[in-house]
Amino acid sequence: MAPVAPRSGDVIFASVERVNAELFTLTYGAIVRQLITDLEEVEEVNKQLDQMGYNIGIRLIDEFLAKSNVSRCVDFKETAEVIAKVGFKMFLGVTASVTNWDAEGTCCSLILEDNPLVDFVELPDTCQGLYYCNILSGVVRGALEMVSMKTEVTWLRDMLRGDDAFELQVKLLKQVPEEYPYKDDE
Amino acid sequence: MGKEVSESCVESLLTEIVSSYGTRFYANKPDLAARRIEAIGYQVGHQLSERYTMERPRFSDHLEAIKFICKDFWSELFKKQIDNLKTNHRGTFVLQDNRFRWLSHMSIDPSPENSGSTQDPSAVAENKAAEAASMHLYFPCGIIRGALSNLGIPCAVSADISNLPACEFLSFSALN
Amino acid sequence: MIVCVAVVGHQNNPLYIQSFTEADDALKLHHIVHCSLDVVDERVNNPRKSGPTLNDTFLGLLYPTENYKVYGYLTNTKVKFILVTTDLDVRDADVRNFFRRFHSAYVDAVSNPFHVPGKKITSRTFAERVSTIVKSFGLSSAG
Repeated sequence: MAPVAPRSGDVIFASVERVNAELFTLTYGAIVRQLITDLEEVEEVNKQLDQMGYNIGIRLIDEFLAKSNVSRCVDFKETAEVIAKVGFKMFLGVTASVTNWDAEGTCCSLILEDNPLVDFVELPDTCQGLYYCNILSGVVRGALEMVSMKTEVTWLRDMLRGDDAFELQVKLLKQVPEEYPYKDDE
Repeated sequence: MGKEVSESCVESLLTEIVSSYGTRFYANKPDLAARRIEAIGYQVGHQLSERYTMERPRFSDHLEAIKFICKDFWSELFKKQIDNLKTNHRGTFVLQDNRFRWLSHMSIDPSPENSGSTQDPSAVAENKAAEAASMHLYFPCGIIRGALSNLGIPCAVSADISNLPACEFLSFSALN
Repeated sequence: MIVCVAVVGHQNNPLYIQSFTEADDALKLHHIVHCSLDVVDERVNNPRKSGPTLNDTFLGLLYPTENYKVYGYLTNTKVKFILVTTDLDVRDADVRNFFRRFHSAYVDAVSNPFHVPGKKITSRTFAERVSTIVKSFGLSSAG
């Protein structure tokens, strides 16, 4: 049987159930706001956002693999491109670009200019040190872990802090080949 | 057509709100968790009501505002209207959604717990499932309360899921 | 030209007030805004037959003073927008258009998760947008 061609981010996004972005944007904003009230320490909020993202990422990967028909990527370079063009598009409705590859091909940057998480957001001065979009770093890390790639994800640029784009650095720490994250009995 | 995201983004956030507040931050204090989750919904409802009433004339009375919530507001959020609206004409409204989107799409796993009780296991499981489902409802209750509050109708909102997959949102208002 | 714009909450609490003129006029303008709130309340509670409809957000000319014209707008969420202008020849359509754009900017400002409802709007973006809207008031669109 001929393999099914992978679907583009646009095609998948057009086929999934979608909602008004502001519901998503405002819900996320209210979560961040509530976390700041309850946890008080900005570092703790960053950590919780990352954890929430991780929990989401390990589940979203299923939907991603099911809908995109992407074959298992063994290559980190290919994986990064797929996340940027298909992953971001099918969920957030926006594409990211991949740049700043290192010589070994184990570290790159995902660049986002349009980011529905931050619409209407203006950080107050009291939130120095807050990585408002930290849920994204957790999502990327979680999703990659489920396809056997252990990564370290950090923010290099943040538009809410005055930079001109969102830049997420993804560094591949360890790749376990041939290992299936899914058990047959599940 | 305004900006959109996939529905799974919103549902993922909802699941995480319930998981974080219900099982991590306030694991043994469901009331505190519920209040926080409801507060998150309240802010969202407050802000959405501001946005979704922007292009329209003011409501003449509370009933018009509630109808707006049932029709336009609900449609913006869930792509359908409230199926049935009841009132006792003394400040209480019941908004019935026969197939509430956020309940029907979620797989609500009751959190694993050693019950150690002598209760019938299926009843225990049913209780746990109901508990988990109700945690998911504080957020939409908060949205409704935030929206109504911003439209001049301070109220308390609760949900009734004794007739799944239908969900009834009850709004109690001291004012009429 | 527009000399003052204000946003006032439903408890008549000032949420935003910006003058576009010299400092000593500012106090006088604040006073004008304050007085206009009573007119808004009256206009909404006692609609005139010849005035805008009861439920219209645009309330029209609230009152003319010697040197200014004061316009009002009331949202569904009971927030008042007040516009004070020195223009004598003001077109209804221009004022409506102003309030429409102003309302949109307001909605975005309160959509900031860090904005506290009932507290003053501190958004820099809002201030910039208001400034742009004020500057383009009354300019007819390019043919």
